[in-house]
Amino acid sequence: MIQLKNIFRWYNSGANRNFVLRDISLDIKEGEFVSIMGPSGSGKSTLLHLLGMMDEPNEGEYLFLDQSVLKIKEKQRSELYKKHIGFVFQAYHLIDELTVYENIETPLLYHGISSSERKSMVADILDRFNIVGKKDLFPNQLSGGQQQLVGIARAIITNPKLILADEPTGNLNSKQGEEIMELFKTLNAEGVTIIQVTHSEKNAEYGSRIINLLDGRIEKV
Amino acid sequence: MFNNFLKIALRNLKRNKVYSFINIIGLAVGMAVAMLIGLWIYDELSFNKSFQNYDRLAIVMQNQTFNGKVGSQTAVPYLMADEIRKTYGSDFKYVSMSSWNGKHVLSFGEKKIAQSGNYFEPQITEMLSLKMLKGTRKALKETHSIILSESVAKALFDKADPMDKLLKIDNNFTVKVSGVYEDLPFNSDFQDLNFIAPWDLYINDNNWPEKTTDPWRSNAFQAFAQIADHADMDKVSVKIKDVKLKRVSKVNAAFKPEVFLHPMKKWHLYSEFKDGKNVGGRIQFVWLFGIIGSFVLLLACINFMNLATARSEKRAKEVGIRKAIGSMRSQLIGQFFSESVLVSVFALLLSLVLVQLTLPYFNQLSNKQISILWTSPLFWTSGISFSLFTGLIAGSYPALYLSSFQPVKVLKGTFQAGRFASAPRKVLVVLQFTVSITLIIGTIIVFQQIQFAKNRPSGYDRSGLINILMNTPDFKGHYNALRNDLLKTGAVAEMSQSSGPTTGISAINNGYEWDGKDPSIQGNLGTVAITHDFGKSIGWTFAAGRDFSRNFSTDSSGIILNEAAAKFMGFKDPIGKTVKADGKPYKVIGVIKDMVMESPYQPVFRTVYMLDYEWANFINLKINPKMSSSQALAKIESVFKKYNPSAPFDYWFVDDEYARKFGDEERIGKLAGVFTVLAIFISCLGLFGLASFVAEQRTKEIGIRKILGASIFNVWRLLSKDFVSLIIISLLISAPAAYLFMNNWLQKYEYRTEISWWIFLVSGMGAMAITLLTVSFQAIKAAVANPVKSIRTE
Ligand SMILES: Nc1ncnc2c1ncn2[C@@H]1O[C@H](COP(=O)(O)OP(=O)(O)O)[C@@H](O)[C@H]1O
Ligand SMILES: [Mg+2]
Repeated sequence: MIQLKNIFRWYNSGANRNFVLRDISLDIKEGEFVSIMGPSGSGKSTLLHLLGMMDEPNEGEYLFLDQSVLKIKEKQRSELYKKHIGFVFQAYHLIDELTVYENIETPLLYHGISSSERKSMVADILDRFNIVGKKDLFPNQLSGGQQQLVGIARAIITNPKLILADEPTGNLNSKQGEEIMELFKTLNAEGVTIIQVTHSEKNAEYGSRIINLLDGRIEKV
Repeated sequence: MFNNFLKIALRNLKRNKVYSFINIIGLAVGMAVAMLIGLWIYDELSFNKSFQNYDRLAIVMQNQTFNGKVGSQTAVPYLMADEIRKTYGSDFKYVSMSSWNGKHVLSFGEKKIAQSGNYFEPQITEMLSLKMLKGTRKALKETHSIILSESVAKALFDKADPMDKLLKIDNNFTVKVSGVYEDLPFNSDFQDLNFIAPWDLYINDNNWPEKTTDPWRSNAFQAFAQIADHADMDKVSVKIKDVKLKRVSKVNAAFKPEVFLHPMKKWHLYSEFKDGKNVGGRIQFVWLFGIIGSFVLLLACINFMNLATARSEKRAKEVGIRKAIGSMRSQLIGQFFSESVLVSVFALLLSLVLVQLTLPYFNQLSNKQISILWTSPLFWTSGISFSLFTGLIAGSYPALYLSSFQPVKVLKGTFQAGRFASAPRKVLVVLQFTVSITLIIGTIIVFQQIQFAKNRPSGYDRSGLINILMNTPDFKGHYNALRNDLLKTGAVAEMSQSSGPTTGISAINNGYEWDGKDPSIQGNLGTVAITHDFGKSIGWTFAAGRDFSRNFSTDSSGIILNEAAAKFMGFKDPIGKTVKADGKPYKVIGVIKDMVMESPYQPVFRTVYMLDYEWANFINLKINPKMSSSQALAKIESVFKKYNPSAPFDYWFVDDEYARKFGDEERIGKLAGVFTVLAIFISCLGLFGLASFVAEQRTKEIGIRKILGASIFNVWRLLSKDFVSLIIISLLISAPAAYLFMNNWLQKYEYRTEISWWIFLVSGMGAMAITLLTVSFQAIKAAVANPVKSIRTE
């Protein structure tokens, strides 16, 4: 599903190049559950953003479903992203002005799904995540774990093939974290490919493969 | 999708009440101003357009050259219409002579009203396409007839049928009502034409000496024309150029009379002539207000953009998230545009309410009868497309700018929209204050010019001076008796008569000769006929010589000059010099200090005052200053009733009439003042919003500074400093711009104020004070906030 070939990412600071990712090559198959680990500043988020097409490498090649992501037009890339990828953030990043229900519904709007269908899809997912009672609350009225549940619900409602999660449990207590991991496991069992960044060995174990980053290099595969 | 845009837009408005309030109010006020000005301009442009023959009507004018100066006038000889008909008949459909629209007394039995009306030839009904409610357009064919406007008919006869009733005009002509026409529209030059009587009646009754001696000599009448259906106005105008020249005597031919047509299309907006050429007129105000209106609207749009960009940091996060969950850029653009269009639609609705509420005051201020054109498709299409346009323009910056944010940058928090957007924001604020300060300076100068002209010594004493027009023959020959009766009441300090009110020169005579006159100079001077008591009643002052006196019987061939006339004639010692008026010799007995009778903005015109009890038919009364004017007027009225029970007691205060000379300028000044205040209001509204966002943005910084020991004053200065420098830049731009513009404006007044530097200083300081006041509110609020609390907000 994903092929990265010799990816470099750097920032210029003065005359110097500060390398964040160096020569990353990586293959991820459909249905995998990958955990990315590494110390702070090692380039995990940068890698995830590249995979999520939110950022571009300075060098290298990126194939997603056999399409060369870096060579297609911005608009096509947005379409590709919209169709196949869901993103979960450490800081949840819900829209403060919208209710739980509306936050989850928003991606469906961008997918042009009809109002009646939207209703049933959101209802299903609220039910599945056990947050029906919270649907009319605003994000700041929820706990962190609840917010992250909404964030994941929002990411998967469009049935993406790939979920990218950047420290999804970073701001949660261990019990909440466990719940989220169980959820990912179920989703993975249903065929969704998952790539997560985590600091916790325990959470990393949920995955079928662990990638360790150090100073922008993959340590061992 | 659109529903969702709308929902989110509405919720955003509700969530950010201050922001929404500022945006909607600011935009609504801007739109209301633009709408009022738009309606005003529409009214100006549609002036006279209600006449069916608008494109083909014209007034006959002539240029004459006096001492090398070309003057344009509508006054023409009484044979003008006849001559045009005879010589150029195929180019004209109708030509009609007329007198001047003026007040006359209409009486029906005991009922008397003073109404303005005029005498025309019968074809005027066709020319003005009068809508006849009673009778036909042939109603003026009969010499002793009259047609009345609907409202005058109602005032005289109430519900009774006015047709065939006998009326008296000025207690002189007896006429039969032969028609009633619909009142002429207020926004036309014939708004005051409340009755029309036949020209023949007028011209045959009066003993015009010119009729017999030289009918082409005197220019005392007007001629209106409607060109033939196929004819071209410009061509016909050129064609009739010499129609008068061919007829006048050799003496008058020296004035090179050139006749031309001034089309109705240009009467209202292009009424001014310079050196014989049409040079514009009110059109300058149409431009001026059009520009002001656009600017005020621009200010409101700038607010909108400014506040939106100021908020962009907050909204950037939302943009990032939306992109991360699959929004296309176009969808974000759509969302931002929905929000701005929604605001502008709300603003439009609010502005309609504002306009409806303020129209009565606006009409009063601008002397108009404007109403919102609720039923006009043009109004609605322009209103709505204008509001959409505003929404799109105002929303374009945030829509295009915010939607271009890269989600990663935004979400990682490395993005600082505020900093990137602050340069254009500063430009916009500078633009706003440049416009505001320019308006302040302009308004001050307009008022200064009015004040300057008002302070000009008028050369006589207007207090307690009233004018009465004797338009009925009843007073003729009773001068002394009337004066004695009035003086006896104790209400009147002095009474006199003159050929016109002191607020105008109604006659200019071209036939003056004098001792030592340079033959190349043409002797045209203003001429005022007065009675012996004129000087005392108006309190003029002498530079040399003496006033007319009953003690000198020779004064009947005496003459008084004003200083301008003495200078014009080149007299070093004018007293005793001989001046001939149309061949008749007069001795100069006195020279008065110049008296402002005409425009207070122009030099005083050379004028001659002579005794003539026949010609002087305006009464000047100086009310006894020791008596209240209402008391005095009651007593005066009873005396007048004794002499003329048939006329309503119709008087006016000279002071009021004099004040009217400033009417146009004052109206413009007041309107400009109101718009300036609104422009400042809108700018401050924006500034207030901006300051609140800056304060919010820097909450954490301020908290840290305070913990490190910054005082409230330090923080206040930190937040206000930026704005102050922006105002200074604005002042530097607006001062020269305003100077150039206003200096140019002042050029049209020969008697004009200087533009002094303090105006710029005051305007700048004023703008600065308002700015500081606005900004300080937010700055102090931020400065006194608890620092610990603000740091925790992160
Ligand atoms: N916009 C940027 N400009 C310069 N350096 C950056 C930028 N974004 C990230 N970096 C650097 O890239 C490195 C990797 O960052 P990141 O991928 O966020 O690490 P991780 O997620 O592993 O903690 C860090 O050293 C960071 O300083
Ligand atoms: Mg990270």
